[in-house]
Amino acid sequence: MMARALSHLAPLLACLGLLAIWQAGSLMLNTESFPTAIEAVRAVPLILGDRESVINILDSLRRMAIAFAAALLFAVPLGLMMGRSRLVASFFNPLLMITYPVPKAALMPIIMLWLGVGDLAKMLVIFLGVSLPVIYHSFQGARAVEEKMLWSGAAMGLSAPQRMIRIVLPAALPEILTGCRTGLVLALITMVTSEMIARQSGAGNILFNSLDMGQYDTVYAMIIIIGAMGIGLDAAFEKLRSRLVRWSEPGFDIPLSFA
Amino acid sequence: MIEIDHVSQTFRTSGRQAHLALSDISLTIEDGAFVSILGPSGCGKSTLLYIVGGFVSPTEGQARVKGRAITGPGPDRGPVFQEFALFPWKTVLGNVMYGPRQQGVKAAEAEAQSRRLIEMVGLKGFENFYPKELSGGMKQRVALARTLAYHPAVLLMDEPFGALDAHTRTRLQNDLLNIWERDRKTVLFVTHSVDEAVFLSDKVVVMTRAPGRIKEIIDIELPRPRRRAELLLDPRYQKYVVEIERMIDDTSEDGLRP
Repeated sequence: MMARALSHLAPLLACLGLLAIWQAGSLMLNTESFPTAIEAVRAVPLILGDRESVINILDSLRRMAIAFAAALLFAVPLGLMMGRSRLVASFFNPLLMITYPVPKAALMPIIMLWLGVGDLAKMLVIFLGVSLPVIYHSFQGARAVEEKMLWSGAAMGLSAPQRMIRIVLPAALPEILTGCRTGLVLALITMVTSEMIARQSGAGNILFNSLDMGQYDTVYAMIIIIGAMGIGLDAAFEKLRSRLVRWSEPGFDIPLSFA
Repeated sequence: MIEIDHVSQTFRTSGRQAHLALSDISLTIEDGAFVSILGPSGCGKSTLLYIVGGFVSPTEGQARVKGRAITGPGPDRGPVFQEFALFPWKTVLGNVMYGPRQQGVKAAEAEAQSRRLIEMVGLKGFENFYPKELSGGMKQRVALARTLAYHPAVLLMDEPFGALDAHTRTRLQNDLLNIWERDRKTVLFVTHSVDEAVFLSDKVVVMTRAPGRIKEIIDIELPRPRRRAELLLDPRYQKYVVEIERMIDDTSEDGLRP
């Protein structure tokens, strides 16, 4: 019982520990640009209570949600087709190999020249950041689908497009969702960096504007807020994921009654 | 009736060499017959089954079912694979219902039928289990029920019991025979086990090692219904097994020649 309670408390203790080290470090260094943890935490409700800031943060989340959804709609079908067709794979694979290592935020200035500094440019960068891992994992997942499972479906009368949607997609789902989880974190990162380069609105905008103005407690408070958003989104996604692929999890409880 | 008419199959190996897997196979399988294809591994016996299933097209020749050339898979020919190939995201019931639902059977009716089939293969109570929660023998029972559910005229069984332990294997052989006795579907059964082929079949097709050719077709004239315990003591059964085993030994040595 004791050990279980402790393991539940562990993440909280880790966070408190980090804050304590921060607090001590900041007191020792005693420079203006490194506020204490208490000052930063105190600034969090001030930001969240400010109408302007909340609008900015919601703006960021809206862009992220749209770009993430668009990326899934594009990347999952592409990845699945690559996984089932050698031709499609040999066409797109080199393109992926070239674009994968390019930092998507580095494309931001170029994209801004075409699309301006508005929503579209930022969403495109997020879209690119999310697409690649999702394509890659969908590709791997589709490629690993057992041939005989598809044959069994074909014998039941499923056409090729039906097999894609009703066999390849569910069979590859655990792998696709692993890609989506990586994509979600990358979406958050590219969201903030895109707003760093094209400042106009958003969570990144608040962060870097306050950095320019020397409001360091706000800077650190925003880092805490963004970090919390990351944890929250990831936890929500993980909950959804484990529900969707319960059938593939290694050790889920076997019901004891055979009734 | 299934007719296999001068079928040959060539594969390209990774070294870009042509590998002849099946060479000029002709075979006729009567409706309602239980026919086993027996041979050493690599003799192309599974490939022959896949050609009848429509999963693989022959390089030469033609396979026909009820007089019509086979151009692709269809619900008239139901496969059961050694690898089970169940849909892991569906429960036992979901797997068995899949075919009938695809054929347009109403949900309630498909469910009732599927529950009966699950009971028939001995898995009553496991309807809501996922495949990963089942043992190998249970998975193969589900796979059999899933295929029977869409009423194929022909069962294509690709070493279905090859991955199971001896005990489970024997039980499944018995159960398969019992199920088969009821509706006498045409069964094409690929195996490398002589016992299994003789115990189950009306006819055993012995194949040679690569390139696969038909070496001999033996009619198994043992009375049905067959009981394993009785057969094991039956000299006729023993004679078939010994005779066919000798044949297989010969074909293996053929294969060793350069």
